[in-house]
Amino acid sequence: MFWHNYKYAFRTLIKSKEMVFWTLAFPFILALLFYMAFARLHDYDTFEPLNVAVVNDESYRKDVAFSEAFKSLSEGDERVFNTQYVEKEKAEELLESGNIEGYVFVEENEAKVKIKENGTMTTVLVLAVEQISQSVDAVNDIAMDEIQRANGAVDIPAIYARVAAKISEAQPNIKDDSRVMNIVAVEFYTLIAMAIMQGAMVSSEMMNRCLPNISNRGKRVAIAPTRKSIVVLSSLLAGYTMLFAAVILLILFIRFVLGIELGDNLGLIMLHSAIGSLAATAMGMWLSVILKTNDAAKNVIILTITMVGCMFAGMFGGQKVFFDEMLPIVNKISPVGMITDGFYSLYYYDDLSRFTVNIVSLLVVAGIFFALSIRGLRRQRYDSI
Amino acid sequence: MKNVIEVKHLTKSYKAHKAVDDLSLEVHEGEILGLLGPNGSGKTTTMNCILSLLKFDNGKITVFGKEMTPSSYDAKAKIGVVFQEVAVFDELTVYGNIDYFCGLYIEDKETRAQYVADAIKLVGLEDCTKQYPKQLSGGLLRRLNIACGIAHKPKLIFLDEPTVAVDPQSRNNILDGIKKLRDDGATIVYTTHYMEEVEILCDRVIILDRGKIIASGTNDELKALAKIEEKVTVEIPELSPKQLSGFEKIKNVSEVEYDNGVLKVVYRRGKNNLGDMIEYLKENRINYDKIFAERPTLNDVFLELTGKELRD
Repeated sequence: MFWHNYKYAFRTLIKSKEMVFWTLAFPFILALLFYMAFARLHDYDTFEPLNVAVVNDESYRKDVAFSEAFKSLSEGDERVFNTQYVEKEKAEELLESGNIEGYVFVEENEAKVKIKENGTMTTVLVLAVEQISQSVDAVNDIAMDEIQRANGAVDIPAIYARVAAKISEAQPNIKDDSRVMNIVAVEFYTLIAMAIMQGAMVSSEMMNRCLPNISNRGKRVAIAPTRKSIVVLSSLLAGYTMLFAAVILLILFIRFVLGIELGDNLGLIMLHSAIGSLAATAMGMWLSVILKTNDAAKNVIILTITMVGCMFAGMFGGQKVFFDEMLPIVNKISPVGMITDGFYSLYYYDDLSRFTVNIVSLLVVAGIFFALSIRGLRRQRYDSI
Repeated sequence: MKNVIEVKHLTKSYKAHKAVDDLSLEVHEGEILGLLGPNGSGKTTTMNCILSLLKFDNGKITVFGKEMTPSSYDAKAKIGVVFQEVAVFDELTVYGNIDYFCGLYIEDKETRAQYVADAIKLVGLEDCTKQYPKQLSGGLLRRLNIACGIAHKPKLIFLDEPTVAVDPQSRNNILDGIKKLRDDGATIVYTTHYMEEVEILCDRVIILDRGKIIASGTNDELKALAKIEEKVTVEIPELSPKQLSGFEKIKNVSEVEYDNGVLKVVYRRGKNNLGDMIEYLKENRINYDKIFAERPTLNDVFLELTGKELRD
């Protein structure tokens, strides 16, 4: 009975235009669009440094860790930015005239970016500042240690200067400095995360077929002499199979057809995708159980949740910075955030501890959603159907 | 006579509205029981309660001698249901749909293949096995819906308005198929608001209104409840008031209505009313075109009992 239902559930899924579109076609189309949008960045050999400005005021100069890091991206043959150090008024003027993509300034001990309009180039700037700012937090911790070791000495700029020199030592697990600026990988990781989250829609569709209060086919299943658990499990497994196959195809397409650098750990990326797919499946199952509405409305809700999660996770560039500042908890608890962060950590660090945290978090999330869904499904008779 | 279903004092409410109100019924083995009533009378709700899909407020339901619960898998294995709404997969062919739903009951592949073939033959879909539901007409789709519900050869079959919006050819095919299922030994509960189907098919009828049973019995027993025996309709192009009043004086006539050249005469009882009428028309030299007699229908019974038409 299990495999009979699995076989037909899988067959109906791969023949469902809607499911094939959202799990396979949509991510592939986005991948192609991303590839075209980031074509200039993709070809690293022909990458042109971006024209930016830095407001070189007292606040900026005091933020030694940030200013040193940004400076390192503005020097040498492989520099990312052509940086002009100017007054704020001049920076505004350059931005208005279109001579720069944006400018960086430090305000209240926080590095900020002002851009004129969103686009690929400005996204690079925003992400660069974001990544440097994140590093600064780590640097601050080190600085505090230095201060304590100095027994209360207050020459902070001097300490910062020493710490800045230790940045590479402080983050020994960063694989390769050149990767820090790989905006292309960042965007494609979020795209893969989005594709994984489409699994919520697939599992919701699978659940709808099993619920008599949602679909007529659910009524047929409910009156059959087959345990609900068998039908639900086999249906979800069919959905999971389709989803995971689609995600693997997408990863292979991005890596080997589009030629995007996704790091060395393709095996771990697939493992992470498998566990992410599990979490997405569990989330869709739970949403299907709690939402008392038809398939179409459910799909709209799930798609909205997925896309908002992707936006928080940085799929659309600079918004990640904004949301990390305004609502930092969201990416910590959002499955999309966890999936994306797991990919980042695989890409940037040799150490798998952060990756492991994300894997465990996803398993916990999946467990919670599954538990909540099973609780909802234990009801066997309905008030109305 | 052995009861396949026993329902005692079933009550089901949706908030303040009582959909089923203290309903008790029995379904005998091998019969076709018609549940007849207008929309909203509680037919489908009763069926869903029996199938243990719906919670109910009060009552007891036994099927095949055991209390029916959601985990009554032994009973469920012997039940087939054809829901009012078509419930098939657009992504599967006719054969695939029947095989899938049959497979929820029958694990053995060879047996299942035979059962699926039998179901296809029963509903007359032999020429459409490779087609997808969207390629079928409304009538053929209904037939597929029926095949999906009965392919596993159930002993008890619920058919919920299976002929709604079906062309005459498919309707006849469906009704013939249902008779064959009964002849093969199945017990059938047939819910409908088409009284003609009930009269053709059902051994016994339960008439529902507002969640209550208002009458039950065989067709003849129910018709006996009607105060009329026969209706005679005569097409008479012209009729004077004096002639019209003459019809009211005919023996056993309870009601006379003349409208737009059509005279309708209702007889309370009596035999050979049609012959008497023809005789009366000759004697009084009244010219007429067509004349025919009708026995009372279940709609007349329903009208008599509730004061409204079945299809209101």
